[in-house]
Amino acid sequence: MATLKEKRTCGQRCEDFGRFVWNSDNGTFMGRTPEKWVYISLYYVAFYVVMTGLFSLAIYVLMYTLDPYAPDYQDRLKSPGVMVWPDTYGEEDIEINYNTSDKACWTKMSKILHKFLGPYNDTKQLECNNYNCTKGKYFIQKTFSAPHHTKWACPFTQSMLGPCSGLEDPTFGYNCTMPCVVIKMNRIIDFLPTNHTELPPYVNCTILEGQSNVAKIEYFPDRGVMDLSYFPYYGKLAQPTYVNPLVAVRFSLVGEKHAKIQCRVVGDKIGYQSYHEPYEGKVTFYLKAMK
Amino acid sequence: MSKTDSYNMFEMDGEMEKKKKKKIKKKEKLEGMKKEMDIDDHEITIDELEMRYNTSVTKGMTSTFAQQILERDGPNELKPPKGTPEYVKFARQLAGGLQCLMWVAAVICFIAFGIELSRGNLTCFDDLYLAITLIAVVVVTGCFGYYQEFKSTNIIASFKNLVPQQAVVIRDGKKNQINAYQLVVGDLVEIKGGDRVPADIRIITSQACKVDNSSLTGESEPQTRSPECTHENPLETRNIAFFSTTCLEGIATGMIINTGDRTIIGRIASLASGVGNEKTPIAIEIEHFVDIIAGLAIFFGFTFFVVAMFIGYAFLEATIFFMAIVVAYVPEGLLATVTVCLSLTAKRLARKNCVVKNLEAVETLGSTSVICSDKTGTLTQNRMTVAHLWFDNHIHAADTTEDQSGQSFDQSSETWRSLARVATLCNRATFRPDQEGIPIPRRLVVGDASETALLKFTELTVGNIMDYRNRFKKVVEVPFNSTNKFQLSVHELEDPLDLRYLLVMKGAPERILERCSTILIKGQELPLDEQWSEAFQTAYMDLGGLGERVLGFCHIYLNEKEFPRGYRFDPDEMNFTTSGLCFAGLISMIDPPRATVPDAVMKCRTAGIRVVMVTGDHPITARAIAANVGIITEGSETVEDIAERKRIPVEQVNKRDARACVISGGQLKDMSSDELDDALRNHPEMVFARTSPQQKLIIVESCQRLGSIVAVTGDGVNDSPALKKADIGIAMGIAGSDAAKNAADMILLDDNFASIVTGVEQGRLIFDNLKKSIAYTLTKNIPELTPYLIYITVSVPLPLGCITILFIELATDIYPSVSLAYEKAESDIMHLKPRNPRRDRLVNEALAVYSYFQIGAIQSFAGFTDYFTAMAQEGWFPLLCIGLRSQWEDVHLQDLQDSYGQEWTFSQRLYQEYTCYTVFFVSIEICQISDVLIRKTRRLSVFQQGFFRNRVLVSAIVFQLLLGNLLCYCPGMPNIFNFMPIRVQWWFVPVPYGILIFVYDEIRKLGVRRYPGSWWDQELYY
Repeated sequence: MATLKEKRTCGQRCEDFGRFVWNSDNGTFMGRTPEKWVYISLYYVAFYVVMTGLFSLAIYVLMYTLDPYAPDYQDRLKSPGVMVWPDTYGEEDIEINYNTSDKACWTKMSKILHKFLGPYNDTKQLECNNYNCTKGKYFIQKTFSAPHHTKWACPFTQSMLGPCSGLEDPTFGYNCTMPCVVIKMNRIIDFLPTNHTELPPYVNCTILEGQSNVAKIEYFPDRGVMDLSYFPYYGKLAQPTYVNPLVAVRFSLVGEKHAKIQCRVVGDKIGYQSYHEPYEGKVTFYLKAMK
Repeated sequence: MSKTDSYNMFEMDGEMEKKKKKKIKKKEKLEGMKKEMDIDDHEITIDELEMRYNTSVTKGMTSTFAQQILERDGPNELKPPKGTPEYVKFARQLAGGLQCLMWVAAVICFIAFGIELSRGNLTCFDDLYLAITLIAVVVVTGCFGYYQEFKSTNIIASFKNLVPQQAVVIRDGKKNQINAYQLVVGDLVEIKGGDRVPADIRIITSQACKVDNSSLTGESEPQTRSPECTHENPLETRNIAFFSTTCLEGIATGMIINTGDRTIIGRIASLASGVGNEKTPIAIEIEHFVDIIAGLAIFFGFTFFVVAMFIGYAFLEATIFFMAIVVAYVPEGLLATVTVCLSLTAKRLARKNCVVKNLEAVETLGSTSVICSDKTGTLTQNRMTVAHLWFDNHIHAADTTEDQSGQSFDQSSETWRSLARVATLCNRATFRPDQEGIPIPRRLVVGDASETALLKFTELTVGNIMDYRNRFKKVVEVPFNSTNKFQLSVHELEDPLDLRYLLVMKGAPERILERCSTILIKGQELPLDEQWSEAFQTAYMDLGGLGERVLGFCHIYLNEKEFPRGYRFDPDEMNFTTSGLCFAGLISMIDPPRATVPDAVMKCRTAGIRVVMVTGDHPITARAIAANVGIITEGSETVEDIAERKRIPVEQVNKRDARACVISGGQLKDMSSDELDDALRNHPEMVFARTSPQQKLIIVESCQRLGSIVAVTGDGVNDSPALKKADIGIAMGIAGSDAAKNAADMILLDDNFASIVTGVEQGRLIFDNLKKSIAYTLTKNIPELTPYLIYITVSVPLPLGCITILFIELATDIYPSVSLAYEKAESDIMHLKPRNPRRDRLVNEALAVYSYFQIGAIQSFAGFTDYFTAMAQEGWFPLLCIGLRSQWEDVHLQDLQDSYGQEWTFSQRLYQEYTCYTVFFVSIEICQISDVLIRKTRRLSVFQQGFFRNRVLVSAIVFQLLLGNLLCYCPGMPNIFNFMPIRVQWWFVPVPYGILIFVYDEIRKLGVRRYPGSWWDQELYY
């Protein structure tokens, strides 16, 4: 024991370590002879090859069992999330702050919206989604009737957003006090937002703070409705050209021109009360126009 | 049994001094001690003594002067060894090897947290939680360990004698009784049989005073104390009685020459406190293990630091990765596991009457390769007992066991009846009253040791001695004195019609034989001729050679004509026949070994542990007891024996031929430490006799130099330095002195040497089982680490979170890893050699590598399979996951598309990540169940060991599963601890991997069993 406890000097330690690295007495390198190193390395190579093989097999089996059109489970996607554009964040919340007199500032906003609406370009939509959908009811497709073994998707064009489409007013109202925001609800495969077919889901915005600063709220399309024909979604593989229906909301800011707004997509199967999921069925944002 | 061996207790070997690189201060202290020993109080005359201490041998001191001296010298009591302050004890609990590792990890966490904070990342509190948890674990286990030790300290403390000692002192010419701690140098005190000597005393007058020095020198026999100075060495001389020894009989007055810590006992006690405590083997093992862990952690951390830099992470980020990896390597649960395992064993030992003062000492016994045992009170009963009788020309063995369970001899002979009568009547010892309920061997007796032995012996064999003596009315008696060396008494006979007197006599056998003319053989009185003398001599030599004290017994019926009733016997004149007696027999006595000792020594021997006797007693006695208990085995010879057998001089004997060796303190003094090492190396069976406390220390050091882990058992103050120096000191709980108990690491509450064997067994078992627990605990480190590594390098969403890891480490896996401590031994561990502390490490390379890179790797694969399954089934295909990290973790991205085109908000993704954590957690749990099953054995098949034999382990698995389910499915868990209620089938994804682990390990064990020594065995056996 005494020998074990002897305080060794640094030099001795280094020497010991050196001997560990290369011991000329029995020809061992790091505790093993080169021959043994080869054996053990081969063993480990074999071990990991086998394990990787098993792992790959497991992943292969997994992928083989998966349905390419729809996920097995949608445990986290019981209810869709909702988001607003322009999606500019402050510290934690969405803050759509702009300065009407600063062109650079508001063009940033309109650029975001233009970019976001890119796929909704009328010509693009008519090109890829030329199916004429029946409005007002779910567009349920049991078969793959579209070309290339896909399903039809209903077109949603930029122009449906009317004054907020950016076609008439490319600034989306950000050069004045009537800014447009675009509300999008996330798509979920086979999700039907409501049981009442007569009442399609619609966007409803409420002013949480600064009620007096908002004179008017306008929705485009009319009443902020998301037509039922856009539902259900059949997935990327079945509906490669699918686009989410959008709703644009135009606020007329007055007074301090500052408000906290919550926009909710109303539908009886769209949840919105979860404390832990702030974007479930609704989106809250600050809107502020400055001079 | 000569006492010519000089007994220089404070000799310091120059060699030793050189070797010991102790602090100069301590050396000075020891030097000082040496000087102080030069007392001459026993040599100078009484007058000089009176002058020196300003006192009077008739009147004592004046009270006022005594008061002054008391103020000068302090009270007459041993200063309790400077107890470690409680906070230091607690701090020590927080400063072990593993603890240090965790402290470092906690600091790293804080640094990482600080870096994150300074970068403005306010949401990441994981590092902070981790740091707090690490500290909490250290503190909680520290409290637990502290509590355990506190409890055992209390048990030990309860043994301390709290009754204040009284002493009779003469001051101002008046006798009065005061508390012993008020005594001062120069005080005149009186002691009588049964008292404890209150200080070191120079005897001034004495009457048949005998003291028991066994706790100081190890001599079982009472030592006479008388006023004359017989030796220049204060320890050898008869006119000094030492503090804390017991006066057995007689009375004496004496002058106090030393009090308190300046007494001999006090000095030995302080010598003990000067000896440093040794690090326990388990602490060394854990340090070694921490080295391995730290090395691997830094290696891994650095590798991935480089990888991260290469991939293109910023330096700061890479640094954080480095820190996270290092911290992830810390096995948080291990500290708790080790502490709980050790305390479980401590508890198990406590049930078997071994109290462990220091938790780590539990294992030390298992590593022990040499036990240096004191003789008196440890191996022996410290009680003179009749061992042999010689009558009818036969040596009869008496029953010396403590509980009278041994065989008795043939008692039918007429001679025995006569011998018993002599032994009964010629005896002044009496039982103390009111002891009917107590077994005879334990009753208290008034009388000297050999008379006590005879009294108990006759009480056991003849029965009802007091009554018996009353029937033979004593007429006269001549007590034993050193000139005539016999004791006699004259009795009336039992039969009232027989008017003869019976004279009974006992004494030194040769003196008795001189006075005899006949000998009793089978009841017949035969003339004592040459032949019988020869027989007597042989028997006497035989018994003496056994280290026993022999007494001869004889009797005679006095002629009724010559000595009619009413004859005035005069004890001084001895006006009666004292020669031509009839020899009845010999009775020999010894302090016999405890009944359980030979067996225990035998077991130690089979367990490869060497038992060395180190005693203060005389060589002959020591050797006899050593032979008796098996320390010297039958057929082993010392150098002297061989010389005698071959009739050649001692010098010509090849020392290597002699298995046994008896070395006395005198010889030891002249030996260099190399010679001592040689002796210890060459002779497997060693006995050291007449050793001083210093020499005991040297012997222990020598054993340690030879690479042994040394246990020392002892009870006396003289053992305490060695107890302290030993790797594990074991003190006797009942017979042990406080000094010995203070110095020891372990205390045998029942004084049973056999408990040591239990301790060894438990120690070895816990070492094996700790190995298993550690292997089990280490394994999961890899599946906890790989997710992070993959997360960094391949940028998948994080598969396993920090809180989840903590739950694995500190909740679900603790119980199973502790349950391995209940595992039965795989083989007969008591037939193996003690582990070689240099080779058989707790955690060796094979263990770490096998756990980390094989079982741990399989577990990681299991985890990732389950992770990818859960991700894919929820919509995220494996290929999409790769490189997804930055988008996945973007708090501002609320519509990230999965493989099916569905859009996910951040919190949805977060809950999916929690699902992954949970799935990974479940995978580790399932694999760990398999792991705990394979860890049950290292060599045997689990089927050989029995699946359900370890009930605790089974319940631990059930517990683990239940807790896992609770964590998964208890409402509220997702937002508190990031556990999600996962789909049931994901529990089964890792099952094939679990089976693979089990099968793989069975194959490994099969290979290890089938091909011992092969490459497979070398690389894969841990």
